[in-house]
Amino acid sequence: MIDVIESLAEILNSKNVEWEIYWESGRSGSFRIEREALERSQRKFYSGISLRVGLNGKLGFSYITGIHHSLSELEKFVERTMKLAKVSEVPFRGFPVPSKVPGVKGIYDRRIEEIPFEDAHALALQYAEKMRELKGKETLSGSISLAFERYGVVNSNGVELEASSTYMGVSTYAVREDRPGNGSFYQSYRSLQGVEALEEAILKAKEDAELSARARKVEPYDGELVLEPEAVMSVVEVLLENFYGDEVYYGRSRFFTLGEPVASDAFTLVDDSTLEGLPGSYPFDGEGTPGQRSYLIENGILKGFLLDHTYAALLGLKSTGNAVRSFRTTPSIGASNLVVEPGEESLEDFEGVIIKSVFGEHTANPVSGDFSLPVGLGYVVKNGEVIPFKDNMLVGNVFDLLKTAEPGRVVKRISSFMAPRVKVHAKIV
Amino acid sequence: MEVERLMRSAEELARKHGVDYYEIRISRVVMTEVSMSNGQLRGLSSNSETGIGARAFNGAWGFSSANDFGRFERAIETAMKIAKLSQGDSKIYTGDPVVDDAEMPVKKPFSEINIEDKVALVKEADSMLTGEKIVNRNVSYRDTIVETFYFNSLGSEIRTVVPRIRFGFSVTAKESGEMQQYWKSFGGTLGWEMVEGIDFSYWTSTVVEKAKELLKASSPPSGEFPVIADPELTGLFIHEALGHAVEADLVKNGDSILAGKLGQRIAVDELTVVDDPTLPGKFGSYIYDDEGIRAKRVEIIRDGVLVNYLNDRETAQYFDLEPNGHGRAQSYAHQPLVRMGNTYVEAGDWSFEEMLEEVKYGLYMIGDKGGQVDTANGTFTFGAKEGYIIENGELREMVRDVALSGKILDVLRGIRAIGRDVRIEYPGYCGKGQTVPVDDGGPHILTKALVGGLR
Repeated sequence: MIDVIESLAEILNSKNVEWEIYWESGRSGSFRIEREALERSQRKFYSGISLRVGLNGKLGFSYITGIHHSLSELEKFVERTMKLAKVSEVPFRGFPVPSKVPGVKGIYDRRIEEIPFEDAHALALQYAEKMRELKGKETLSGSISLAFERYGVVNSNGVELEASSTYMGVSTYAVREDRPGNGSFYQSYRSLQGVEALEEAILKAKEDAELSARARKVEPYDGELVLEPEAVMSVVEVLLENFYGDEVYYGRSRFFTLGEPVASDAFTLVDDSTLEGLPGSYPFDGEGTPGQRSYLIENGILKGFLLDHTYAALLGLKSTGNAVRSFRTTPSIGASNLVVEPGEESLEDFEGVIIKSVFGEHTANPVSGDFSLPVGLGYVVKNGEVIPFKDNMLVGNVFDLLKTAEPGRVVKRISSFMAPRVKVHAKIV
Repeated sequence: MEVERLMRSAEELARKHGVDYYEIRISRVVMTEVSMSNGQLRGLSSNSETGIGARAFNGAWGFSSANDFGRFERAIETAMKIAKLSQGDSKIYTGDPVVDDAEMPVKKPFSEINIEDKVALVKEADSMLTGEKIVNRNVSYRDTIVETFYFNSLGSEIRTVVPRIRFGFSVTAKESGEMQQYWKSFGGTLGWEMVEGIDFSYWTSTVVEKAKELLKASSPPSGEFPVIADPELTGLFIHEALGHAVEADLVKNGDSILAGKLGQRIAVDELTVVDDPTLPGKFGSYIYDDEGIRAKRVEIIRDGVLVNYLNDRETAQYFDLEPNGHGRAQSYAHQPLVRMGNTYVEAGDWSFEEMLEEVKYGLYMIGDKGGQVDTANGTFTFGAKEGYIIENGELREMVRDVALSGKILDVLRGIRAIGRDVRIEYPGYCGKGQTVPVDDGGPHILTKALVGGLR
C-alpha cells in the first residue's frame, strides 16, 4: 500500500466508521494528427483519492486531488467526509468483503508504462508519415493515445487491492476532398502496437471513405437485413441501460424479471471483465469486487443485470463487479467488455441490405425501445456487386429487433465490444 | 505569491526551450451536486480542486496538465519540451495582451446557500413529481464556480470567475408494458435566483402529464415531411445542422461541408444565425475563452449568407479572420477546441398560427432529445421529446419517439417560415471529444426533414 493510503487508513481506523478509499495515479500521452501533420501533443498527469464513509446507515463522499498530502490535510479530508455523512441522507449499504480476485492477463504492458515521451512522439510522427504515404483523394487525420494507471481499493472490511493497467488507442479519420464522403476507424489495446496497427487503421478508414463517397440514398426497405458489428454495437447501446441495476431498482428499466424471454434463442449477450488483453478488462472493479463473466441474455432469456455492491444489495442480488468510477465520483454502474456470442450461420457472404454504421444512438428511447438512426454507411450486395448507400434512417424497436436476431459466426472486436454480423428484421426509410 | 512564481518560471522555461508562445490556465473549481431518485437521496457531494493546463506553441502545440500542486511547474516545463520537440509549421494569432479581472454577476451566490437548502430544493421537486402511472422520478441539482487565472507570453493576465447552476427533473410513466419518459432542465451562469424563479408547480405537472400522454401516443409516420420545430428544437436543429459545420477547426481539416463557402448564400434569405457567448446569464455564456480572447457575438449567417466561422487563435490566423473567442476547453486538463456558446436563430415575421396554416400534412415537433452531425457528409439527426401530426393546418394526434434527419444544405435552403417568438433558454452540454456547457434556441421555424417513424 502506498504511504499516503496507509496514513489515511490509520486515521480512519481510529474513528468509529466504515470506510472505503479508492485511489488512482496515472499519466497519459496523446498525439493529434491533422491533415497528415502532427499538430497537438500532450502529456497529462493526474492523481487523486476518494473516500466513502458509512455512518449511522448514511453515506458521505468526498475526494482530494493528488497523492502527496500531509497528515493534517488527510485529517481534514476525513473530517470533511464524516461531516457530509452526518448531514447526508444517502443510504449506506455496506462495502464489499474480501474475495478472490481473478488473474486477468494482458492488461498491463511495461513498454507503455516506460516508453519515453520522445519515443511515443516519434511513433506519432511515423503515423503522420504513413498517412502522407497512403494519402489518395482523402484528407487524413487521426490520433494515438497511450496511458498508464495504478489504482487501488482499501476498505474497513479488509479489502486491500491494487493493480496497474496500460492502454493504447489508435484512430483514423478520412475525408474525401473531391466529393462528400468519410470513413473512420478506431481500435484500442492494452499493449504497445507497432506501425502495422497504424497502417491498418488508415487503410480501413480510407476504404470506408471510398464507399461513402460513392454512396447515395436508397429506396425505403422493410425486411431482413444484416447489421455489421459496428451497427450491432449501436443497437446494444440503445438497449444497455435496461440492464443497469440502479435503473432496474428505480423502475426505469424495461427489464425486471429474470428468466423471461427477451430475444431470439440464438442471441446471447455477455459482460466479461476477465477476458485476456481487452480494453474493458480488470481484476476488480471500483469497489474491490472481483471481475467476472456475467450473462445478461443467454439463448434469448434474460439472465442478469449489471450490478455494483449497493444496487445488488437493494435488489437482493450479488454484485457482478460492474462498479465503474474515477477518484472524482462515487461508483456508478457500467459495462466492462460486452460480447454478442457467435451463432451457427455464416453471414459473411450474405446478399442483400447490410448496415455498416449508424449514429445518434442517444436520441433513441431506451425504455420504449424505439430508435431511428441515420445510416452512416450501408451497402446492398447483389450478385457479388457492392452498392453503397447512406443518409437513409434505420428504424425499429430494439426489443422487437432482438427477437429476430440471428448472429453470424465470425466475431469482430471494436475496442471493448465484440460481436459477429447479426441478421435482423428492420426497416430503412 | 505562488502564481507569480509560476509566471516567472514559465518565462524562464520558454527562453530555455526556445518557445515562441505559451499560455497557462490555473483553475480552482468548487462544485456541489445533489441527486435523488424515487424520493431517495442518491448522491450528495461538495468538492473542490485546483489544476493547471499549460500550452506552448512552436508551429505545433505542446500541452500538459496536472492536478497535484507539486507537479504544476513540471507541467509547464513538459508543455515547453513537447513544443520544442514538435516544430510544426502552423501559425497562430497573437495580438495585444489583455489584463482584466472579471466576474459574472449574480444576485444570490449559491456559495452562500447551505447544502441543506439544496437538498430541500431537490426534495420539494421530487414530492411534486408523483402521480398515478409514474414509476420513476429523478431530480438533480449541480452548481460550480470556476475561478481561472490565465496568463500568456504576450503579457495577458486575466482572472475570471464563472458560476454555473443546473437543475432538472425527469419522470418515467408506465402502463400495460409501455414506458415513456419526460424531463425538463434549467440552467445558467446565474446564482441561486435561477431556482427561485422556477414555477415548480407548472413544470412538475407538465413533466408528469407529458410522460403519461406519451404512453398513448403512436409512432410517427416515416418519410420526408414538412416539420414545424418549437424554439427549443430550433435551437438543437441549428446547433447540429449549422453550428458544428462552422467550427473552423473542422473546416480547416476538410471535415465540413461548409469549407470554402464563406460569403456564399447557403440558406434562405430570411435566415440569420448568431452565436453569442456574451448573453447575460445563459448556460453557454463566458467572459473570455480558454485562449484568453474576449467572448463576442458572432453572426454566422446574415440574411442567408455564410459570413463567419467560429474560430480560435489558430484558425483565425489560418483563415485570416478576426479572432472571435470560441476556443473552449472542458477543464484545465483539456486543450481548447473551437466550440459554440449560445447559438440561436434570429426572429422572422411569422406567427405560429400562420405557419400551421401552411402545412397540409406534416409534424409539429417539440423539445430537445439530443442530436448528432456528420459534418463532412453533411447529414445530421436530432430527436424531439414529443410531436403532433398536423393535418390541414390543425394539430391532431400526439406522436412519440420522433427522430429526424436531414442534409445540412437542403434543410437550410428548405426553411419556409421563421417565427417571431425567439427563446434562448435551453441549457445543455455539447460533446466533441470534450464536453462544454452550451445554450441554444430561436423562434418556431417551418422546414422539411426525413422522419424515421415505425409507421
